[in-house]
Amino acid sequence: MKIEVKEISKRFGATLALDSVALTFESGEIHTLVGENGAGKSTLGKIIAGVYQKDSGTILIDGQVVEYATTYEALQRGITIIAQELSLVPARSVIENVFLGIEDTSGPFVARKKLRERFTKLVASSGIDINPDTPVGALRNGDQQKVEILRALARNSTTIVMDEPTARLSADETSALKHLIIDLKAKGHTIIFVSHFLNDVLEISDKISIMRDGRLVRTSFPAEENHNTLVEAMTGAGFGKVFPEKSTASQSGATVLKVNNLTAGNRFKDISFEIKSGEILGIAGLVGSGRTELVRSIFGVDRFDSGSVEYLGATMNRFSPAKSIKFGIGFLPESRKDQGIIPARSLSENISLPHLSALSRFGWINKSAERGLVNKFFAMCGIKAASAQVHISTLSGGNQQKALFARTLAGSPKLFIADEPTRGVDVGSKRAIYDLLTAQAAAGMAILVVSSELDEVVGITHRVLVMREGQIVKELAGSAVTENAVLEAAFAGKVS
Amino acid sequence: MNLLRQSLTKLAVIWALAIVFLGLTVTTDNFFSVMNLRNILDQQAFVLIIAGFATIVIISGGFDVSLGAIYILSPIVALKVENTTGSVLYMVLAGAAVGITAGIINGLIIAYGNINSFITTLATSFILFGLAYILSDGSILMISDIESRSFVTTKIFGITSATWMAFVFLIISWILLERTRFGRSIFAVGGNIEAARLSGIRVNRIQIIAFTLGGFGAGLAGALNSIRTTSAQASDDFSVIFAVIAAIVVGGTSIAGGSGAIWRSVAGVFFIAILVNGFNLNGIDPVFQRIIQGLVILLAVGADSIRSTRKT
Repeated sequence: MKIEVKEISKRFGATLALDSVALTFESGEIHTLVGENGAGKSTLGKIIAGVYQKDSGTILIDGQVVEYATTYEALQRGITIIAQELSLVPARSVIENVFLGIEDTSGPFVARKKLRERFTKLVASSGIDINPDTPVGALRNGDQQKVEILRALARNSTTIVMDEPTARLSADETSALKHLIIDLKAKGHTIIFVSHFLNDVLEISDKISIMRDGRLVRTSFPAEENHNTLVEAMTGAGFGKVFPEKSTASQSGATVLKVNNLTAGNRFKDISFEIKSGEILGIAGLVGSGRTELVRSIFGVDRFDSGSVEYLGATMNRFSPAKSIKFGIGFLPESRKDQGIIPARSLSENISLPHLSALSRFGWINKSAERGLVNKFFAMCGIKAASAQVHISTLSGGNQQKALFARTLAGSPKLFIADEPTRGVDVGSKRAIYDLLTAQAAAGMAILVVSSELDEVVGITHRVLVMREGQIVKELAGSAVTENAVLEAAFAGKVS
Repeated sequence: MNLLRQSLTKLAVIWALAIVFLGLTVTTDNFFSVMNLRNILDQQAFVLIIAGFATIVIISGGFDVSLGAIYILSPIVALKVENTTGSVLYMVLAGAAVGITAGIINGLIIAYGNINSFITTLATSFILFGLAYILSDGSILMISDIESRSFVTTKIFGITSATWMAFVFLIISWILLERTRFGRSIFAVGGNIEAARLSGIRVNRIQIIAFTLGGFGAGLAGALNSIRTTSAQASDDFSVIFAVIAAIVVGGTSIAGGSGAIWRSVAGVFFIAILVNGFNLNGIDPVFQRIIQGLVILLAVGADSIRSTRKT
């Protein structure tokens, strides 16, 4: 199935998300849409899949002009979307999710046997093997995505729009998904792949369309592009390097945090390390290796069973986020949306939230002191917004993330724990965040970075701890920190 | 254009209030008179006393259906106190104490038991109603000193003391919400409880305080109302809780928590009150009034829901 879009435009309020975009998706190709946040790539994918409606322009399927307004109608034409946020029913089984709404029935009852036969056929034809009886909620992210793909195939979709499918996946799951996508292509499916991850894009695409500010910059073949040309086209400027110059960690810095034999059930065991003032220490490893659990326990969100934590030379007891913040530990959570922003409140209130005790007397907030603090860190973090009074939910992902940096840095922490500091952030904001982290470290802050992005781990940290199954399996420092070394340790040598 | 649209959606309840007000002024003879308007105001005193703190509960992401039961139990305890002490002050304090106690218990269960607030307060409602029957022995309690009515009925500048009390509580709840750390914490907990926790907010404490304030308002309103009516019994009408929740929702405070304002609830209270007043002046059957009220609530919430889905 060949899909052509012509002069498609779409407006959201004041922003023109798509500005007369014309593109052709040939049958059976992996066609990638790349661009920064807000470039319009997701919007285009969603219009093709019927999630959004175009304001103007035409869509042609195999040369015929078509009109559809809902995902249901798109599905009837063989187009499905697998959205960033998966849309499965977590408490129900894989098979029920796959055939949801298209069950075989006999009378009012679901024909379970027939459904099972269909599932077996589907597994055979797609090569995706998942236990049909597992509740979807118990699956890993990568497997949940496979369920979505099965669901699309069960509905005879020939074209699948994948919106940032690898954003929530670990490295091994990502590589499995890439194989699957190539497999689907071989079976004649068209894949419209929306992604931030340029390495994945270069690896699997047949064609790459680069978008910027709602317009198509160019469509090209991966052989004609590399990381730098893509970034340049996406940002519209000679962008330079993704990572700032690495400073050498001072060896004389005082130890800020010392963790001794920290253990918490089966989440992590026997963790010991220390971090000095001015050092950026990375914690790498697969999703589920216990990295997030470890830093949450250090910050005082979750309990641990045994071991101890020394902060600035004194052993900490009775952990809580409130106490950690008071002592000068900053924490940037893994999920901006679920654990970070207070969506319906202003940027200003979001930034000052953890520091209100210093900004108030007898519970009464000193507004001018608050304004002073907020404005300082608003500027320092380079947040792009009309003012600090706008709702944080109106900002782009990158600016929201910068606001969370402002929130954390406003406490002038001596130790900054950042869990996935650039998740879901556009290339431009990424560089700004790296600059910020590097500058803070140079000024003496100790920074602990948990990251799933290997280039980031290699690009900004002085030293890396690799975790696997709840334990530290490797420590790498200086020039020994390479993507391969980290991967190898994370997979225990199983990587090719 | 954009500003106009914004003011239309953000201030929807104010526009609705203004339109109904103007409409009734033009069409209904006896509506726009000082006496009628004062009556409307005075009739809403007890709803307003509850609504201020109940708005805080809803913004915190909680939902307290036990306010109705507290409103019934409080005057029974309060009148017993009045009957033995003869003091209207002790009576009011006893009513407030009932509300505070029930609120603390609700808050403790919700915060530490991690149980959904709707279910928790539904369960405690049954218990509180049961207690009301046990304590009153199923009979009517009367106030011993009828002169005490002046506590809530004294007119100051033409408005009853109960209404003045309502103003005071609304101002307190407004200041709490907009000017204090506690208020910020309420918005944060209702908007994103995980983010609030990671920002060092003691989420449990905030939830307990919110439900305690909610109970306090309902307890106080119950006791004050029984001074006005001079009696109370366990089978009294507790529909005031529906009026309060309807007003909060119609005002535009999100039932999901995290956004809302005291002025919205005040506007919601008066919107519904004026609507009902208009029905009465025009002689519309109370049965139809209820149906129309229900439709108005659906309309308000529906408009809000459509607006928020369009945004994304």
